[in-house]
Amino acid sequence: MSEIERDHVLRRAVQSLRQLPAADPDAIRRVVETAAAQRVMPAADDPAADAPPVARSGGRRWRLAGFAALVAAAAIVGFFVRGSVPPRRSTTSVPVASSAPSGGAPMRVAANADQDVVPIPQQFVFRSASARRVSVVGDFNGWSAARTPMTREVGGDLWSVTIPIAPGRHMYRFMVDDSTFTLDPDARVARARDPDLGVEVSVVIVGRP
Amino acid sequence: MDSRTISRAKLGDINAFTRIVEAYYPRCLRFARAMLHDVDEAEDMVQETFVRLYRALPRYEERQRFESWLFQILGNCCRTANMASQRRTARSVSDDELLARMPAAESASALVDREWDDSVRRALEELPEHNREIFLLHYVEGFSYEEIETMTGVGQSALKMRVKRASDALRALLAPGER
Repeated sequence: MSEIERDHVLRRAVQSLRQLPAADPDAIRRVVETAAAQRVMPAADDPAADAPPVARSGGRRWRLAGFAALVAAAAIVGFFVRGSVPPRRSTTSVPVASSAPSGGAPMRVAANADQDVVPIPQQFVFRSASARRVSVVGDFNGWSAARTPMTREVGGDLWSVTIPIAPGRHMYRFMVDDSTFTLDPDARVARARDPDLGVEVSVVIVGRP
Repeated sequence: MDSRTISRAKLGDINAFTRIVEAYYPRCLRFARAMLHDVDEAEDMVQETFVRLYRALPRYEERQRFESWLFQILGNCCRTANMASQRRTARSVSDDELLARMPAAESASALVDREWDDSVRRALEELPEHNREIFLLHYVEGFSYEEIETMTGVGQSALKMRVKRASDALRALLAPGER
């Protein structure tokens, strides 16, 4: 028996606190409109934007994907072996056009980027032998798991993608098999708090020499 | 909330998101009012929570319980609002405002109930924020200590201590006036 069940005063207090306020339809409408106006929507060139929403929802396929993702997560080990794989982060300052394809899906520069800012190629790598799909998800691509898929090296377990990103500080994570949202396992990568979720995200500073 | 609706909302389906707001708005407002005292600010924070939620939905992991995730965001919003309000003059609802919101005529028993509700609200305001939040999450919103640990990052033994302190304080504040 819990403390609440034993204690008459607390039980009454909790009953009082559990009373739900009436749902105000106008307030709900305002909330929905405000949220919809502020969300960063998928780009028009995002394949997921045109896909029927139901295609990725629920069902056995989704549960199996979740299980596979857990297996994948368990198999993830440290990556980036200097000298044997391309450097994790490009330090080059050679500018590229924001629309130029760079080994993955077309990218848009981060939404908060200045129009005059020249994007810099940034490579992301992730090691997993069992993953079926890996993508990098960050503020630079609207946190879309569909927009920046990573490519697996032939016969290996290294996934990578190089994309143009506006110089500055960016938050990201990796999405494995559409269901596991994981931090960059590289211990040298800085981490920060995501202001929306209050959880940790990995941080990359683009353009720092 | 069913996973199909959440998956649709993740992909930007505004109708699915509307169903989520309709389902959780009253609970979120209940929690925010208890955390913030100020009715208007509570409504603002609930709106801010759903704005953040919608923006962050693509990052939602299906294996995490949706309600826990929602209340994690709401808790962050309320704590931030409380920090901000501590820096400015309290803008609490006056007695006159509260009276104006009351129905014009009430039965004697309804009046007693309302007095009790007000007593509970005032007692709750006396609690330190960190104890109040955990008490509400556990006893009012029904989250387990394990879930709250995941949401707040605070260990379960510390959570139980906070709930006990909140319970002791509420009992002490409410018992003398209970009818």
